[in-house]
Parts: sequence; C-alpha cells; structure tokens
Amino acid sequence: MIAKEMLKQSLPLLLLCGIGGIFAGNILGLMSSLFQTIPGLIVVIPGIIALRGNISTAFGSRLGSAYHLGVINAENIWNNELKQNIIGSIVLSFIVSLLIGVLSYITTILFFDITPNPYQIIGIVLLAGMLSAVLLTTLTIGIIYLVFRRGYDPDNITGPALATVGDIITMLCIFGSALFIEVI
Amino acid sequence: MIYNWKKIVRYGLPLLTLAVIIELFVGQLLHQGEEMLIEQLSIFFISIPVINSVGGNIGSLLGARLASGLHVGSIQINFKDKRMHEQLITSIMMGLITYLFLAIVIYSIGLFSITKMQITFIPFLLVILATGTVLVCAISVISVFTAFISFKKGIDPDDVVAPVVTTLGDILGIIFLFVFIGVGI
Repeated sequence: MIAKEMLKQSLPLLLLCGIGGIFAGNILGLMSSLFQTIPGLIVVIPGIIALRGNISTAFGSRLGSAYHLGVINAENIWNNELKQNIIGSIVLSFIVSLLIGVLSYITTILFFDITPNPYQIIGIVLLAGMLSAVLLTTLTIGIIYLVFRRGYDPDNITGPALATVGDIITMLCIFGSALFIEVI
Repeated sequence: MIYNWKKIVRYGLPLLTLAVIIELFVGQLLHQGEEMLIEQLSIFFISIPVINSVGGNIGSLLGARLASGLHVGSIQINFKDKRMHEQLITSIMMGLITYLFLAIVIYSIGLFSITKMQITFIPFLLVILATGTVLVCAISVISVFTAFISFKKGIDPDDVVAPVVTTLGDILGIIFLFVFIGVGI
C-alpha cells in the first residue's frame, strides 16, 4: 500500500530530477577543455553545487514554513520577513563561496603538486556563487509566488522544482564564470 | 518579525562549512580521476551529476517520509518496524528503476554528443546499475539511522537528514563509481 503510493507520487519526480542531472552532466562535459586549461577548477564543482543546493532548499523550505505560519502570502509577499531571508541567503553564499575558493586552492597544493592561480580559482567560485545565488533566489520567489496564487502547499513543490533546475542553473553559472575569468 | 538574516547565517554556517569541506574531498577525488574521466571515459563523467542527484533525492525523500512517520507516531524507533522496512525497500526499488531508465537515456545522448564512444552499452549499464544499487542501499540505510538518531535526540529529522544524505551520497557515489569502473573495465 505504502509502496504503491510512494511509486505513484515520487517516481515521476525522481525521473524528472534525473533528467535535470543529465543536462548538468552534459554542461560538465562541455567544460572538459576548461578543466585542462584551468588547473584546480574541477575541485570546486561539487562544493558549489552542494552550497547552492543546501542554501536554496533551506530558503525554499523556510518560505514554506513562513506561509504556513501566515507571515507571507500571495498579497503580502515582498515584506521584511522575505527581505531578511534574502539577505541571509546572499551573505551565506558569499562567505561559503569564498571558503570553497580558498580551501580548494590550499588542498590542491597540498594533495597534488599543482599550484593553481589563486585569483582565478577564487574569482570563479565567487562569481559563480553570487550569480547562482541571485538567479536561484529570484527563481524561488517566483515559484513561491505562483504556488501561493494557485493555493498549493509550497512544501510539496519547491524542493523537487529547485532540485531539477538548481543544478542546471548552477552548472551554467560555473561554466559562464570560468569562461569570463579565463578571458580577463 | 520571525526571521533575522544574522540568525540565518549563524545557524546555517556550521553545517554548510562541514558539508563544503566534505565536498572538497569529493572535488579532489574527481581531480585524481580527471584524466581517466575526461579523456578516456567521458560517458561516466557526464553521468556523475545524475548518479549523485538521484541518490541524494531518494535519501531525502525517504528521510522526509520517516520524519513525518516519527512525528505522527506511525513509525517507531525500532529497526524491525514494518512500515520502515516497506519504505526502505520501496526506495531501493525506485532507485533501481530510475538508474536503469537514466542509464539508457545517458547512453543514447552520449551516442550523439561524444565523438568517440569508448565503451559499449552493456558494460556501461552494468557499472551504472552496480554503482546505483550499492549507493541507494547505503544512502537509504544512512537515512534511516540519521532519522532515528536525530529524532531520539529531540532534533527534527527534517532539518538534518537531507544535508547529511546529500553530502555523504556525493562522496560515496564517486567512490563506488570509481570502484565499479575499476572492476568492470
């Protein structure tokens, strides 16, 4: 009984998230030549993806709780509660991006006999981290707004929706930032 | 006002820092395997986000269900709990179906996007299925333990299970993939 219900409700979402993963994987494949020209770049990828996933899922689920607590709704969405959440997510993204950049640089020197260009690596992580923070925060607010308007429970929608598009957007941000920093 | 950005940062930072440090090891593992993955077996390289996201999703999903069950009281903290077993087995089964389907999709796309396919379909499918099966089993068990332990300690499993299983899932996924590539090829 449980099995049937789980399969019916969750399997389609799992497959959808997997398709999102395939897009992210193909962007990773497109970046192959960049990994060879920017030493140490491959190291930051899992960190940025995890950072983005953790921060935006927590942001989404806090907005879900805020909705259930009655502090935000479709008519009153752009208020101070939301602003505090946005500032919190952006500040966290900045601190942790910087941390990823610095630690990847240090561990790459320690584990491999390679010295990456610190400005290049830290620059790419910061740019990708902030860019994806702004894009995904905006997207989450958009999703939440639509979910409110339709009267759905945000808890059922934001998690899977962010999991599917989040990785693709994050990978595109890393790709774009790496290309940009490599050129300058 | 309920939310304060300083509190969000202060509560979020410790767990995030820990997660990022573990992910850096995942990154260094990828760095270690970079040559093999990019030059020789790029089909596995593009499979990595899929392997990890499906594993993490199944673990989070199971964790959220266990958390609700524990809160409502329909699941007891007991490793013989029947409802828990049923959800555990269903999760593993869903994992197998998902990996089977996605392996076929990845390989079909790879036939077009990769100029020189270095591996035939059957060995590729077997490596992905082996990695996926072991990963989903490991993640599901970790999910049950994390949910039970956190609930027992009075911490809401909803806050803990997802970050724990996605982070551990990322590192286990890469390790299992490397092991099965080594075994199979």
